[in-house]
Amino acid sequence: MAIPDISIADAPTAADVTRAPRRFRRAVLGNRKALVGGVILVVMAFVAAFPGLVAPDDPQAAIYAQNAGPSSAHLLGTTMLGQDVFSQLIWSTRLTLIVTLVVTAIATFLSTIIGVTSAYVGGITDRVLTVLIDVFLILPVLPLLILLAAYLPPGVTSLVIVLCITSWAFQARQLRSQGLSIRNRDFLVAARARGERGIYVILVEIVPTMTSLIAASFLSLAVYVVGFAASLQFLGLGNSSELMWGTMLYNAQQAAALEAGNAWWALAPGAAVALLGTGFALLNYAFDEIGNPALRPVRRRRGRRSA
Amino acid sequence: MADALLEVHGLTVDYLTESADVRAVDRVSFTVEPGEFLGVVGESGCGKSTLLFGVAQLLSPPGEVVGGEVIFRGRDMVRLSQGELRHMRWRDYSVVMQSAMNALNPMKSIGAQFKDTLEGHGSPSTEQIRERSAEVMTMVGIDPEHLKSYPHQLSGGMRQRAMIAMALLYTPQLVIMDEPTSALDVVAQRSLMTKIKELQRSLGFAVIFVTHDMSVVSRYSDRVLVMYAGQIAEAARTDTIFERPLHPYTRGLMNAFPSVTGPRRELVGIPGAPPDLARLPSGCRFHPRCSEVMPVCMSREPELYTVGDVAVRCLLYTEQAKEAV
Amino acid sequence: MADDLHLHEADEPLLTAVDLSRHFRLGGMFSKQVLHAVDDFNLTIKEREIVALVGESGSGKSTVARLLARIYAPTRGEIYYRGRPLHRLRSRKDLLWYRGEVAIVFQDPFSAFNPVFRVSHGVMRNLALHRTDLNAVQRREEAERVCEGVGLSSKMLERFPYEMSGGERQRIGFAQALAVRPKLILADEPVSMLDVSIRIGVLNMMANLRDQEGVSLLYITHDLASARYVADRIVVMYAGHQVEAGPTDTVLTGPKHPYTQLLLSAVADPRSKDEDISADSGEPPRVINPSEGCRFRWRCPYAIEKCSQVTPELRSLGSSQVACHVATSKPEDVSDSAGTASVTNR
Repeated sequence: MAIPDISIADAPTAADVTRAPRRFRRAVLGNRKALVGGVILVVMAFVAAFPGLVAPDDPQAAIYAQNAGPSSAHLLGTTMLGQDVFSQLIWSTRLTLIVTLVVTAIATFLSTIIGVTSAYVGGITDRVLTVLIDVFLILPVLPLLILLAAYLPPGVTSLVIVLCITSWAFQARQLRSQGLSIRNRDFLVAARARGERGIYVILVEIVPTMTSLIAASFLSLAVYVVGFAASLQFLGLGNSSELMWGTMLYNAQQAAALEAGNAWWALAPGAAVALLGTGFALLNYAFDEIGNPALRPVRRRRGRRSA
Repeated sequence: MADALLEVHGLTVDYLTESADVRAVDRVSFTVEPGEFLGVVGESGCGKSTLLFGVAQLLSPPGEVVGGEVIFRGRDMVRLSQGELRHMRWRDYSVVMQSAMNALNPMKSIGAQFKDTLEGHGSPSTEQIRERSAEVMTMVGIDPEHLKSYPHQLSGGMRQRAMIAMALLYTPQLVIMDEPTSALDVVAQRSLMTKIKELQRSLGFAVIFVTHDMSVVSRYSDRVLVMYAGQIAEAARTDTIFERPLHPYTRGLMNAFPSVTGPRRELVGIPGAPPDLARLPSGCRFHPRCSEVMPVCMSREPELYTVGDVAVRCLLYTEQAKEAV
Repeated sequence: MADDLHLHEADEPLLTAVDLSRHFRLGGMFSKQVLHAVDDFNLTIKEREIVALVGESGSGKSTVARLLARIYAPTRGEIYYRGRPLHRLRSRKDLLWYRGEVAIVFQDPFSAFNPVFRVSHGVMRNLALHRTDLNAVQRREEAERVCEGVGLSSKMLERFPYEMSGGERQRIGFAQALAVRPKLILADEPVSMLDVSIRIGVLNMMANLRDQEGVSLLYITHDLASARYVADRIVVMYAGHQVEAGPTDTVLTGPKHPYTQLLLSAVADPRSKDEDISADSGEPPRVINPSEGCRFRWRCPYAIEKCSQVTPELRSLGSSQVACHVATSKPEDVSDSAGTASVTNR
């Protein structure tokens, strides 16, 4: 086989393989959707870190007028027990965000390790792990929940466990595909040929080349987890005394808030969940561009040089 | 003197990227006579493939022709519309790409693709399609039975031959080829080139042949264009350039090919590497690698000087060029 | 250094491959299609020599490299390194020892490096795994030394792969191999993807490695001319079989196997006849479930009946070896003392 024509279009340009953080920053700043998503998340993080600055009232103090509508004193009204809805919303941000991030991190970690190992080791291991992934993908969640609800105490810990079990397989197939596509790249063969152990190759040589994909997986999964966590709590898996948006929804439902005319109590946490999910989803657009150069806008420069 | 078939004047092609505009082809001019075999030689980044696309009007963004003209049968192709170009394509000139697997549709049989091509550029009857398809297949040495085959069923060499057959469907006057042999093994390469030359002699079409392989050029072409970093470094008749290469780059290239026959001697090659077109050296683009570099080469860009019947872009020849005038 | 089971004598070959075969099953677990990439391959490499393994695509040459580098295990046959059979190397320590003796350089300078790391990564890892006698500072120095040994400034180590040209990357590939102080480097088409003007530099560097560092090289290529330029001996492969082997000049001035002759005429002087070549439009076959007999017989102008019945074996003919019934039959047809077979006289 003689040389293929290596024209300038083929050689990797600096733009293609710039260091990940710089590329990411450029992609986010250059992409409006990603920028909006980023802003939303930054605001959420701030609110989670300093809730007292935004809502000085104690969220659990049941001292105000009950079922009051929005007013200057209570931006979103009060609950049936007389708690400030706005305060509850703000103070719930922290736990909601923490749970989301922890679950997503654990699940992404699991799906990366299992997906990549499956692709890299191949053979029987691959078959077994693929079956495992498929089983967890099609696991009927609700019957599992009912089962677990009978044994697990309601609360954040159970929530995290259930969420991890049901969401790790989400991205495992995709990461496995990516692993399959690079497993025969020369630099990996070279690593084995110089005597590196399998674990080393997976963790040090393969995973770092997949950071964009892993980050994109993380964000996709986060969108899912945010919504699913809230749903589970709404169904009663959470502990109603914990401060999370999902438990707010549960409490509002229990108190028949909508029927009682207290729409804000029921809708505000739902809107917050949607907003957080949207933040993650929008930020993910930055990775579309990084992952697929064909999607990058061709930015024409104004004015041409004369020939 | 017959009229030239193709005249390229000052063709310039830029790639407009978000970080910088890169000039892939810089004011290239040459002519092609009817029936002539012109070899365009160069290494990576020299712009030879871009030149080819520019001439054939096949550039797509971010590549764009930003200057010059390509006059084929009296008409400037750069200024023609897509519709007018479509008329010319395949009837007046055709293109053979580097990799048949990229150019052929894997889902259609060879015969079906011939039919598409024939119908795309004319209105032949079913009988004419069948006849002509079989005719071109025989011309390139493939049994017409293979019209029913799919590309993956043919070997690499046969696929390339099928590509050439397809290019000859309307017997164009000019066939442009982009390294059609580089993906083939050495024996298949030789066999294909022989066939191309045979066809050229019998059908009389001109060929512009882009390659990195000097030996192909030496054996088959009438004239040679040596390209470096987007410019023509040297242009001359094949025997002239091989007997007495003028440009230090051409000389370096000649010296970089070990041979299977003749005495074994130590070769030197050319130190360094072809430049990044976004970061060209000052003055002559070749000066960082040149064994005969002079101080003036670092600041002054050479023009294309005519020395006898050779065009060479090198400051070593400014005096000779003046004398000749 | 691991104890050898056999004593290594001064003129004992470095590496010997005996009847090496590698097959791949095509399709699923129950498929009956078996691809014979390499069959009954024999090779000897001595110290301080460059052996060129020449063949077209599908000839099995890259598979041989990977077998010798223990990236694949052989389906049959054995490899002896310094007298030790490789299948006896079981423990991680033994395997690591072998990998420190025999290193491989890959063809594609664009995919041979992990784009996430600087190019020093591969060199330093090799040193960490195989040169445990060095401390951290010494490893750094050694990395710089091998870098300069391949003609690059040590500053190159800090670059990322995309910041380097193909030729520079290929040299770093050799530096990586040198870092383990190998006795043998398996170079799998190291210059095929490089620009012509850069190839000679890398080839010269390889010859230098043999002369200065005393390293043997197995140079795998499809290009006879570059094989002639650097190699002491040439081995020609076709469709998984070895067809001819011998000293470079002997094989190239007087090729005995019809395939070698075909290859040679495809690259030789402009003055040779073109017609012979245009008649051959065949290509190397993919060898799936092959039958007995010579695999070149369909393209061979001299094939006789025996060629489709009995697979020819490598036999000595003069100073080289040929696997061809026609070339090694009928001694009375031999025209001159160099042992040129009747194939050239028809």
